[in-house]
Amino acid sequence: MASQEKKKNITWKEIKKQKVLIIWSLVLVIYGVIFYYLPLAGWAMAFQDYKPKNGLFHSAFVGMDKFKQLFSDASFIRVIRNTLGMGVINLIVTFVMAILFAILLNEVKSNGGKKTVQTISYLPHFLSWIIVTGILHDALSSTGIINELLLKFHILDQPLNFFAHPKFFWPIVAFANVWKETGWNAIIYLSAITAIDPSLYEAANMDGAGRWARIRYVTLPGIKPTIMILLLMNVGNVLNAGFEIQYLLGNGLVQSVSQTIDIYVLKWGISQNDFSIGTAAGIFKSFVSIVLIVIANQIAKKNGEERLF
Amino acid sequence: MKTKKILSVLLAAAMMSAMFTGCGGGDSAQTGTNADADADANANSGTQTGDSGNKEASGSGEIKEFTAFFAVPGSEINDDNEIQQMIAEKIGAKVKETWLTGQSAQEAVGTLIAGGEYPDFIDGGDGMAQLYDAGALVALDDYIDKYPNIKEFLTEEEWDRLRQDDGHIYWIQQFGNIYGEEKATTHNDEAFWIQTRVLEWAGYPEVHTMDQYFDLIESYNEANPAMEDGTTNIPYTILCDDWRYFCLENAPQFLDGYPNDGSCIVDPETLTIIDYNTTPTAKRYFQKLNEEFQKGIVDPESFTQTYDEYIAKLSTGRVLGMIDQWWDFAYTVNDSLKQQGLDVKGCNYVPLPITIDEGIKNQWHNSGGTLNVASGIAITTSCKDVEGAMQFINDLLDQEVHDLRFWGVKDVDYNVEESGEFSRTEDMRMQSSDTAYKASHACTYSYFPQYTGTSRDGVNAMKPENQPAEFYDSLSKNVQECFAAYGAETYVDMLGTSEAPGPWYPMYSYSNNMTTATEGGMAWTKMGEIKHEYLPKVVMASDFEGAWEEYMEVYNGCNPQAFVDEMQAELDRRMAEAAKYN
Repeated sequence: MASQEKKKNITWKEIKKQKVLIIWSLVLVIYGVIFYYLPLAGWAMAFQDYKPKNGLFHSAFVGMDKFKQLFSDASFIRVIRNTLGMGVINLIVTFVMAILFAILLNEVKSNGGKKTVQTISYLPHFLSWIIVTGILHDALSSTGIINELLLKFHILDQPLNFFAHPKFFWPIVAFANVWKETGWNAIIYLSAITAIDPSLYEAANMDGAGRWARIRYVTLPGIKPTIMILLLMNVGNVLNAGFEIQYLLGNGLVQSVSQTIDIYVLKWGISQNDFSIGTAAGIFKSFVSIVLIVIANQIAKKNGEERLF
Repeated sequence: MKTKKILSVLLAAAMMSAMFTGCGGGDSAQTGTNADADADANANSGTQTGDSGNKEASGSGEIKEFTAFFAVPGSEINDDNEIQQMIAEKIGAKVKETWLTGQSAQEAVGTLIAGGEYPDFIDGGDGMAQLYDAGALVALDDYIDKYPNIKEFLTEEEWDRLRQDDGHIYWIQQFGNIYGEEKATTHNDEAFWIQTRVLEWAGYPEVHTMDQYFDLIESYNEANPAMEDGTTNIPYTILCDDWRYFCLENAPQFLDGYPNDGSCIVDPETLTIIDYNTTPTAKRYFQKLNEEFQKGIVDPESFTQTYDEYIAKLSTGRVLGMIDQWWDFAYTVNDSLKQQGLDVKGCNYVPLPITIDEGIKNQWHNSGGTLNVASGIAITTSCKDVEGAMQFINDLLDQEVHDLRFWGVKDVDYNVEESGEFSRTEDMRMQSSDTAYKASHACTYSYFPQYTGTSRDGVNAMKPENQPAEFYDSLSKNVQECFAAYGAETYVDMLGTSEAPGPWYPMYSYSNNMTTATEGGMAWTKMGEIKHEYLPKVVMASDFEGAWEEYMEVYNGCNPQAFVDEMQAELDRRMAEAAKYN
C-alpha cells in the first residue's frame, strides 16, 4: 500500500530522471496518433454522401442514412451471417487443432523427429493465400487428386465439383485455415509447455499418473493462461473471418455463402464508388469486434481467469 | 519458473498484436482525399506553352516518358522493347503501359481514386464514369483542335457523342474507327464458335439453330471422344468468371436476331427497350443448356473455372465449342494453338450464324465501326504535360508510326511487294505469334487510338489481319478449307453482315457506366448479382422448370423495370440527339 501512494507523487526530479524514457515513449504516442487515430477522421464519410470530387469537407451530411441503407440491404445481412459463421468455425477449428497438435508434438520423445515435424508443419504459414487457393483449386478440381482418390476407392462414381455446392464452401475455408495455420499457432503453445516446471511431471509420475493423466492434470492447466489470452484476442478477431480466401475461391454459384464483410466493403466502397457505405460497413465491423472482446474479457474476469484489461 | 510463464504469455501477446496491425490497416486506406486535385488540373494546363504542332521534343533529343494504366487485362512488354524505342526516337516520347491483373476494372479504378494519384494516361474501362465523377480527368476540348491527327480521328458528331453532361470531352474512344474503305475480315465480336475439325468430320453441314449446333457437337463427341494424343474432348464450355459471364447470359439477344446492345434489346420499329432476360427465347436457351448439362455435354467445371483456367483449356485444343467474344480468347488461344501445331489438326475456331429458329436474320456481326462512348483513353490531372501527352497520341496516328505499331519493321516483320503491297512469309507469321518475340520486339500501344480499314497509301490495310491476301494466307489450311466449303472468304462471311441498326447503337455504352446512385443503376447491379448466382443454378438444376420459376421470382424482385425505364430514357435522348444531324 505504502509503495502505491508514493508513486502518485510525481516530482520534477523524477521526471528529469526519466527524461529519456518519456521522450522515447512520446515518439511512440505520436506515431500511434498519426497512424491509428488520425485515419479515424475518415469515419466521417459514413455520415456523408461522400464524393471524391468534393472531399471530406464539402460532401453533403446525411446523418444515419447510410447505416439505414446498409441494414435494409438483404445482402448485407447475409454477409454478416457468412462472416460470423466462417469466423466462429475458423476460430474453433484452428484453436482446437493448434492445441491438440502442440500437445501431441510435445509427447514425441525423439528430439530430431519433433523438430522436423514442427518445421514442416509451420511452413504453409509462409505461403500467400493466392498460392494456397491455387493448390486447393487444383486439388479439388474434377481431375484433381481428391476426385481421383474418391473415384479410385469407388466412393463416388462421378467427379464432384466441390466449388459448385454452397454446402462445401465453409468446410473448405475451415480446412484451408487449419492446413495453413495449425503449425504456426502451435508454436506459442509449445513454448508455453516448455515453460512448465519439469518437477511437476516428475511428481505426477511418482503418483502413478499415466500419459493421459499427465496431459490432463499438468500440461493443460500449465498452458491455460496462454489459451485464455489467445482465445480473448481471437474472439475480437472473429469478424476478420478473411478476405483473400473467400475472394479468390468464390464464384457466382456460391456467392450467397462466400461473401464476407470485407468483400462487401470492397464491392460497394471501391467498385461501386460508394465510399460512404463501405465506411459504414467497416465501422459496424469494428464496433462489433470491440463489443465482442469486451464481453469475452468480462466473462474471463468473472471466472477469475487471465484477461486482457 | 514464474518469469518463464509470464514470458510465454508476453510472446503470445506480441505475436497476436503483430497480426492485428496487419488487419487494421484496411479501413483507413480510404481516407485519402484529393480535394485539391481540381486545382492542380487548372495549374497543369498552363505549364507548357508554345507551338504544339511541331515535335519540339525530338529536336532536343530528349525522350519524354509517360505512364499509362488500362483497366483491361493485357501483357506488358519488355522495357527495352525494340519498336517502342524506334517510335520513341521518331516522335520523342514513350509510354510505360500497365494492365489489370486479378481485379475487376472498377476495383482497380476505385483504388486509384482512393489514393488520389493517377498515371498520365488512363483507360478505366467499366470504371470510366467513376474517374469522371472523381474529377480525375482533364477536359480535352481545347486541345483537340490543335492536333490535326486527333481532330481527324473522329467526326464532329462522334466528338459530340463523347461529351459528358458538363459539355466537355474527357476521353477519346480508341477503337472501331475505320479509315477509308472497310476491310472486314475478322469477326471481332461474340458468336457461337466451333472447331473446324467438327465441321470437317460432319462434311460441313449448314448449322443455323442451337439444336443443330448441339446435335453436331454431340454426334462428333460420340464418334471422337478424344484427341489424337488421347486427351478427352470437352464438348462445350461456358466462361462465367466475374464480368466475363456475358458468355453465358447475353446470347438471348442474338438468338432473337438482334445486335449486341449488350444489356437490353432495342426494338428498331417501335424504339422501345426489351429486357432479354425474360423473353421466351431466353428460357428456351437456358433450357437447352440445361438439357446439355444433364447429358454431360456442357463442361461441369463451367461455372467455377477462372478465366486463366478457361484459356488454358482452350489452348489445349480440347474444347469443341463455346460462346465468347473473339477478342476475349482468340489472340492468346490462336497463337498457342499455332505454336503447338494444333491449328493444322482442326482446333481453330470459326463462328456459326445461329439463331433460336430457322429463318431469323442474325446480327452477330455489324458492319461499320461501333463507337463505344463509355470509355476511351483519357489524360489525368496527375499528368504534368498535357500538351506533350496529346502530341504523343497525335503522333501515334501518323501513318508511318501506325505501320510500325501494327505491321512492324520493314523487311523484318513484313516485306513490300513491287506493287507496294505488304506481305509476310510463314516464318514472319510464326515469329509474330511467339510471346517472347512479341514482348521484346512488338509494341502496338494497343489501347491508344488506332485505325482499321485502308491505309493512307490506298493499297494496304491498317493492320495485317485486315489485309485480304495476308489474312487469307495466314489462316491454317483447315480454316481455309472450311471457309471454301461455306463459300466464305473471311470470318465475317461465315455470319453475314448487317448495317448498324440505328444511331442509338450500342446501348451498353450507357449501362456500362451506370452507378448505384440511381434507382435503375441499383437495379442493374442487383440484376447482375442475381444472374451470376441463378443462371448457373438454372443450367445445373435437375428440375429446370422449378429452378427457372425461382429465378424469375428473385429476378423480378429486384425491380428490373427501373433499369428498363432508365435505358428507355437514354434511348429517347440519343434519338433526339441524332435527329439534330439529319
